[in-house]
Amino acid sequence: MIPSAQATAISHLADAAVHDRLASAISLVARECPNRIAIVAGAGSESRHTIDYASLATAIASLEQQFDAARPIGIVARANRVESLVVIAAACGRQHVPLALLADDSRDLVGELRDWTGLDDSLALPTGLVPASGHEFATVPPHLVVATSGTSGPPKLVEHSWDSLLAAARLSEQWHALAWLLVYDATRWAGTQVWMQAMLTGGKLVVPASRDPDCVARAIAEEGVTILPSTPTLLRRLITSGDRAILEKAQLDRITLGGEAADALLLEQAHRFFGQAKITQVYATTELGEVFRVTDGQAGFPSAWLGRTLPGGVKLSMRRDGELLVQLSRDTAEVATGDLIERCGDRYLFSGRRSDVIVVGGAKVFPRRVEEILRGVPGIVESRVYGLPSAITGELVAAEIVLADPLPASATPESVRSESLAACRSGLEPHSVPRVLDIVKKIFTTPAGKASRRPTPE
Amino acid sequence: MSSPSTESIAAAIATAITVVLRDTGRDHKAVEPSLLLAGDLGLDSLDLAQTIVLLERSLGVDPFRTAPPSVPRTSIRTVSDLIGIYSTALIPHPS
Repeated sequence: MIPSAQATAISHLADAAVHDRLASAISLVARECPNRIAIVAGAGSESRHTIDYASLATAIASLEQQFDAARPIGIVARANRVESLVVIAAACGRQHVPLALLADDSRDLVGELRDWTGLDDSLALPTGLVPASGHEFATVPPHLVVATSGTSGPPKLVEHSWDSLLAAARLSEQWHALAWLLVYDATRWAGTQVWMQAMLTGGKLVVPASRDPDCVARAIAEEGVTILPSTPTLLRRLITSGDRAILEKAQLDRITLGGEAADALLLEQAHRFFGQAKITQVYATTELGEVFRVTDGQAGFPSAWLGRTLPGGVKLSMRRDGELLVQLSRDTAEVATGDLIERCGDRYLFSGRRSDVIVVGGAKVFPRRVEEILRGVPGIVESRVYGLPSAITGELVAAEIVLADPLPASATPESVRSESLAACRSGLEPHSVPRVLDIVKKIFTTPAGKASRRPTPE
Repeated sequence: MSSPSTESIAAAIATAITVVLRDTGRDHKAVEPSLLLAGDLGLDSLDLAQTIVLLERSLGVDPFRTAPPSVPRTSIRTVSDLIGIYSTALIPHPS
């Protein structure tokens, strides 16, 4: 437990200037419990090692001293280790140095930030840095730049403020000193949310050595992870392929799903598997940040939410073509989300990204619907549906399936394959039935941990 | 890599069409070069698109998507037309 005086101090972080919060929180915990583990890196593997709060605080102070000596125009974090990103973000925040967090696949966007200084895991500023005079800016530089995940196109840079980055952080005492799993890329929006939340509240951030389901399972069980933020795709992989004996030792209190929509089957599996854990679905985008949360464990969101102002001021509506529109507050513009929704009883369900729609001979196909039918076939644990270019029909529906290991009694790969085509034929329009169906070992996911809707790269 | 023979191309096409018929739950028919794709085998445009994807995998080429498009599309009526298109794409000509 965190000593209560310190707990109160963390709860009052919300009163501190938003730039200072990360560094202040880490200093606070470092003072009270210097040896408390902040980060477990390489979890679930032999390379496991830990970093305590005192070391983080020392590294932050040392970087801040370097900023005093030579103030950069902005910092592009090029660090690979999460602990380095934490130190860079905390120091940049407290010293009001603009910061860009760029994932590997968006580093070629750095040209737009060519006057900024790169900072790697050495946490040493290059020597001979020309200090920024502060008078060179025609406009105020952005405080934070992050790249979008690029699910629906090439990654792009998005400007943020510390306010928007920390808007969803929860500082009250029930969130203190918890153990968080980081399966996301630490430089992407979803990842920053996890490590900032953990570091702001004296928590332990558990970073698995890889996304291999057995490694993730070991990290969860061995490090006592209580909060699992994940995409539905990564959670599905963990449940269907992770080592059962290890996963049964997991002590999860909460699963937070985001990044893509969760289907009813996955929610049911997760509930059965981690019965004690509360499952929250977060709807957020890199541009808007968090929009709403669904906590009732069902897919989609209640239909009563549409067209009404929700607590917090968000208003949801639907364009004629089914695209979800979001207005964050009365004085902001309505934003098209690119997500298509359809009503099903008293829920609105996500039918997919507008950009994921496959057009076969002029007819639309929603990959999610096909994926859900495939996942319902006994013997299939994962599926992915994408469009293949065709000179005859424009696109063709292609699918990949991962088979259960072991397969159900009397099933063979060939019988599962023909059964899944039969299931698609009876549940879908003819043009939606996959014309290419491959059995694969693993589903191809984007760096952000979402199912990709493109052909697998060679 | 040596270029395939007309016979091996014909065999690959027969296999692809058989897979398409099987995947779509239809009866297997012996695929003969003289058969009409639509009239005799019952292949629609989606079936043909699937056949072409399967052939791209087995023969390594999609002559319908190569530039410049050298395929007169109206002429694809029979299995033999398909064999001709793939042979043109795969077997080098002395000229």
